[in-house]
Amino acid sequence: MVEFDPALIGRVFEITEPVSVTREMIAKFCEALGETNPLYTDDEGAKKGPHGELVAPPSFAITFRNGRHFFQNIPRFGRGGMDAGKDVEFVAPLRPGDSVTLNSSVKEIYEKTGRTGTMVFVVIRSTLKNQRGEVVAHIDHRFMNRN
Amino acid sequence: MTFDEVQIGTAIGPEHIFVSKDQTRKYARACGLDAPRFTDDEGAKKEGLPGMILPGNMSLGLLSKVVTDWIAGSSARLTRLSTTYRVPVQPDHTLTIQGFVTHSYPETRQCEIDVWIENEEAERLVTGTATVEFSK
Repeated sequence: MVEFDPALIGRVFEITEPVSVTREMIAKFCEALGETNPLYTDDEGAKKGPHGELVAPPSFAITFRNGRHFFQNIPRFGRGGMDAGKDVEFVAPLRPGDSVTLNSSVKEIYEKTGRTGTMVFVVIRSTLKNQRGEVVAHIDHRFMNRN
Repeated sequence: MTFDEVQIGTAIGPEHIFVSKDQTRKYARACGLDAPRFTDDEGAKKEGLPGMILPGNMSLGLLSKVVTDWIAGSSARLTRLSTTYRVPVQPDHTLTIQGFVTHSYPETRQCEIDVWIENEEAERLVTGTATVEFSK
């Protein structure tokens, strides 16, 4: 089994300043993804939707990270540190004018053996909150290392 | 579409999406991902990849988009999405994104959906499970 310092579990990443969500950020994100849904791209169309105003597409939430060194702070084992997948819970939509704070910590480290050998997975849990302290999303980032 | 109209086996998509290298770079820039593997072939090759690849977040975004396209106009919202990146996704290919409903929970008005991205050879590159919830 993979050996690691138990103190790694729960280690909190760099706390960063709140990030403001702008209309321009949402528009650029939508354009890059080919998103045309009026809920996310058109103020008038969004007014008729369930939120009564323009919101960001759900996956916009996963673009936030704790600072430039987020990736360097992820514990590594052996080779790599490849993004293996994510588990995202979308709690509330992000809107232009929101201010996002992020709290990330090491949630879990485990080993798995598959057809291609042994892999060590490191799960980083990020929780996004808005300026009212309401949870916007929980994101579990799963990174895979090869021994 | 209402919760009662959704049945196990109901299809989502398929959507056929051509993702260019320019679009991949645009996504990477919009999200502050500056690793060479997302922006240029040479940089990606130095990392041992065959060429540029899509950021995993972009694949998740495309899966999310296909689900939100499917529920557009209904009372449902996407509440969960789990993804597994099985094979790197390369740009300048047409991706097929689709899924189907696997579970339905009347007590919570939630549906679970298997979704995936495949290439022209029908190889599943990214797989996922989504949950959508219809309002009461």
